[in-house]
Amino acid sequence: MKRQVPLVLCFVFGIAMIFTQFSPHTFSQGIHNEVTNWTHIITPFALVLAVATLIQTHWVRIRRRTTHWQYSIVVFAGLITMVAFGIRSGPKNRVFEWLYENVQVPMDATVFSLLAFFIASAAYRAFRARTFEATLLLISALIVMMGNVPIGDFLWNTVMAWTPWDNATSNASQWILDNPNLSSRRGVILGVSLGAISQSIRIILGIERSYLGGGD
Amino acid sequence: MTLNSRMQLILACFVFCLCAGVAFAQGLAPPTNVTAKDTPNDDGKSITLTWDAAAEDSGGITNYKILRGTTPETLEEIGDTKTTTTTTYVDSSVETGTDYVYLVRAVGETGETADSVPTAPVQATGQWFHTGKIPLFCAMLLFCAAIVGNIYYAQSGKEIFVRRIPGLEAVDEAIGRATEMGRSILYVLGMGAVDDVATIASMTILGQVARRTADYETPLRVPCRDPIVLNVVREMVKTAYLNEGRPDAYNEDNIFFLTQDQFAYAAGVDGMMIREKPAAIFLQGTFFAESLILAETGNSIGAIQIAGTDAEHQLPFLIAACDYTLIGEELYAASAYLSREPRLLGSLRGQDWGKLVIFVALVMGILLEPFGINWITALLQRVN
Repeated sequence: MKRQVPLVLCFVFGIAMIFTQFSPHTFSQGIHNEVTNWTHIITPFALVLAVATLIQTHWVRIRRRTTHWQYSIVVFAGLITMVAFGIRSGPKNRVFEWLYENVQVPMDATVFSLLAFFIASAAYRAFRARTFEATLLLISALIVMMGNVPIGDFLWNTVMAWTPWDNATSNASQWILDNPNLSSRRGVILGVSLGAISQSIRIILGIERSYLGGGD
Repeated sequence: MTLNSRMQLILACFVFCLCAGVAFAQGLAPPTNVTAKDTPNDDGKSITLTWDAAAEDSGGITNYKILRGTTPETLEEIGDTKTTTTTTYVDSSVETGTDYVYLVRAVGETGETADSVPTAPVQATGQWFHTGKIPLFCAMLLFCAAIVGNIYYAQSGKEIFVRRIPGLEAVDEAIGRATEMGRSILYVLGMGAVDDVATIASMTILGQVARRTADYETPLRVPCRDPIVLNVVREMVKTAYLNEGRPDAYNEDNIFFLTQDQFAYAAGVDGMMIREKPAAIFLQGTFFAESLILAETGNSIGAIQIAGTDAEHQLPFLIAACDYTLIGEELYAASAYLSREPRLLGSLRGQDWGKLVIFVALVMGILLEPFGINWITALLQRVN
């Protein structure tokens, strides 16, 4: 019974939600919107549980003085401060807003900006011309990079002025992006879409039951 | 000039003026062929009005006005004025099931007007089935039939070939390595929520990984971003440990909520990687800009990394930084591949049939298009 009820609910709602995609009637669209809203309602309840888990995890760390337990104090400090200022007047509270804009946003931006360095190190490894494929990747990457900076076309038009092709680097770059790159991306998207449909059918039919928390 | 002649001249002028007046009065021809119909394939909240542009468009008519009422006597102006090139209007402010009468009014330069004949009463009704989506519906039914048919085929005990997926073959290797090194395994489910198909696929792989870590008693750490995912994952890993007869090895504290913020999550997971130095890292699910931040940090600590995502924009980053990457659909095939369950393998075969049909349609479309035969292209456009 513990398994049957969720499976039946999943089947009924799964089939119903598929048909709402093909039915523009107010009734079916109403069902679609209502069910979508339910998922939004469930999330805050789960969030309470998640925050409780967070508090429990870090409290245990502090109590047991595990490795790097000091970081858990920072978590509590942040949590208590934001709740203290946010709970009274919501996100419009001046201190809450200030903390968000001057602490959280810059920290987010800092982590995001690390991406530039990670891209450089990953590109260095990926573009080492050790195999034919890697060499091809290196050449394509060089063309695309040169095509995306003004100096690329400038150099081509100056050094290779005798050739009949103007702005060849940006044109070649665009060709690579529009043809081999786009077609392979679409191939991946096609496979992903069919895979997602197949996975959904398995879930609706009750073949795939991992979302129930494991077991058969 | 005689009196008689003068009278004739005055009469002629009068007739001329009268004719000219009548001519100018008729210069503004009313819009013709005005039809009001329920807008097809909608939710019953609109009526579409069409009319023919009047012949004197370029001359006297400056714009059109739409009048609507429940009877011809209660007509009132609705919406903005329409330019002379407009010949359609969709009225989206109607009530379902109410009769409406429409009239299109042509307005001249000097403000004179010419009204069309009021339309017959029309009602807006919602349609239960979108007829424009019939090809898509048929394609979906065929695809579902292929998958279900192959599931039955697989259940009959027939062997199904599945090509080797190196990323999934390496799962045992990664777990074994972590066990030998006495280090933990870090499993990252990505940014997706529980309604994300990729997250569900990732959870299925996690279930298989958990079975093996239960056997080997290797610590499995799962930082979660979504609260609902957290609860499902806890239950799933717990069940996996129970099924393997190792409930004592399950540690609930190893599966925890980190944060919902994207980069805070990335920073938190990176911190775990640097501090705990897991021997194996699984990055499975939906990823965005944080994918490379996670994968490069994992690479820097020398962990064996198996990634998998359906986000095609992030695939190049994961391929560049990870040891193995499940590309797109391979992520969805993982549950079947790892469990070797016949029904799941059957669905994979059905999925391949779908791909074959699309591939054949694409090739035929390309071959036939130069000969002017474009019904395949048209059909694919409609399916889209």
